[in-house]
Amino acid sequence: MQRKVNDVGGLTGSQIDQAEHDPTFYEKRIDALLMLLTGPKVQAFTVDSLRRAIEQNTPEDYSKRGYYEKWLLAIRQLLVEQQILSNEEIDRRIEEIKQRKGH
Amino acid sequence: MLEHQEFIASPSFNVGDRVTVKSGHPESHCRTPVYLRGKRGTIVEVVGRYHNPSLLALHKPGLPKLWLYRVRFQQSDVWEDYDGSSRDTVIADIYEHWLSSDEEHLNVSP
Repeated sequence: MQRKVNDVGGLTGSQIDQAEHDPTFYEKRIDALLMLLTGPKVQAFTVDSLRRAIEQNTPEDYSKRGYYEKWLLAIRQLLVEQQILSNEEIDRRIEEIKQRKGH
Repeated sequence: MLEHQEFIASPSFNVGDRVTVKSGHPESHCRTPVYLRGKRGTIVEVVGRYHNPSLLALHKPGLPKLWLYRVRFQQSDVWEDYDGSSRDTVIADIYEHWLSSDEEHLNVSP
């Protein structure tokens, strides 16, 4: 029976860190980005497609990447799939911002 | 909306029916967890008819809509060597194409 990377119910896992922390500014921005893109005004893609993109992570990436990092990478993939932005446009913009910030 | 309801196919299962969750290949975005596949449970609610999430996940309209059921399983049927109370249950929402009225394990054909 094929098990998808996210479908871990019943498996023995490692210790879960149950410490609470306030959402960071980075996490809040990613949350806001998703709400705006999937909201009634924009409807760039569905939450179902976000789940599908996250489920496409390799097992290594799925465990290595953080929760909001998986959201962010899925948002990027779906914006490209929907031809709203191209990978080149996104990469160029990232470079511009890096230059401006002196990286 | 109401005038279209007569064209909506009726659900294949009713509250109280015994069903088996099919085995098989998960879809693009799959909402039927592995730990319930092949397990036998009882329909406790016919939730309604919803857009197909595995098609929505591929930027498609998600039609035809699928019946969604709330299914109750005995924990002792779900987990081998379950040592909790025999009255413990787990309830999951499962779409119709993942369910069968047969007792043997079947492969899903969405």
